[in-house]
Amino acid sequence: MPGEYLLLMAACVAITLPLEFVLGARVYRRPRRLLLAVLPLLLIFSVWDAVAIARGHWDYSPAHTTGWLLPFAVPVEEVVFFIVIPLCGLLTFEAVGRMLGRRAPAAPAAPSAPTSSAPPSRSRNVPSLPEFREQGHVSGAKDGGTGVGDA
Amino acid sequence: MPEYTVATLAAVVVVVAVELLWARTGIFRTAQYWITMAIVFFFQVLVDGWLTKLSEPIVRYAPAQFAGIRFPFDIPIEDFGFGFALVTGTIIAWQLAGRKEPA
Repeated sequence: MPGEYLLLMAACVAITLPLEFVLGARVYRRPRRLLLAVLPLLLIFSVWDAVAIARGHWDYSPAHTTGWLLPFAVPVEEVVFFIVIPLCGLLTFEAVGRMLGRRAPAAPAAPSAPTSSAPPSRSRNVPSLPEFREQGHVSGAKDGGTGVGDA
Repeated sequence: MPEYTVATLAAVVVVVAVELLWARTGIFRTAQYWITMAIVFFFQVLVDGWLTKLSEPIVRYAPAQFAGIRFPFDIPIEDFGFGFALVTGTIIAWQLAGRKEPA
């Protein structure tokens, strides 16, 4: 079936939807950040794909792909792949983060007097709720505080 | 060494180097990242297994261009480096983009 590769990608999107809408991954709801995360890798891997196709590393079964080709003979399915798979990865990453956060809400709490040389939020983009409040935002932010300025 | 093997190894090294030397998001020190990669690996086996199954492949690999080891199912092992680089790179970019996001 010519649409098989695309259908597989659609299945990946469908199966990961609950991560956003049930587990609260908030990936689709941060479109700007999503674009900034996906675009660079999409470009790099499309180039890789084009080179690999040109050098004969792999090709695609005409029976299972649409045959729609982009420049450098890259099948449209491949670009879809380079969007869908990173998207699934980010949904997983954020959903896992939510799950871990729920179990241990007191992730290294905002230090009242940060004495260490490392910035407190070095490896976490999402401020804990106390940090978020400290930064002067309204209390009662539902999602741990990244909702501001998302859309 | 076959070209896909070289390209994959290079991609893994570049992504790890980007994280450790430049981006420094710290993801390699988090359970969140490693649990994510375990889940991604599991689903990659299913999806990639479907794409590469020799009985009816969607993506067809030139035998001379990869190491020749297909595991599990018929997945060329290089694909796991490819997937690691793609997903890890995306998570790094996501973390960097989040850093700049107006808090």
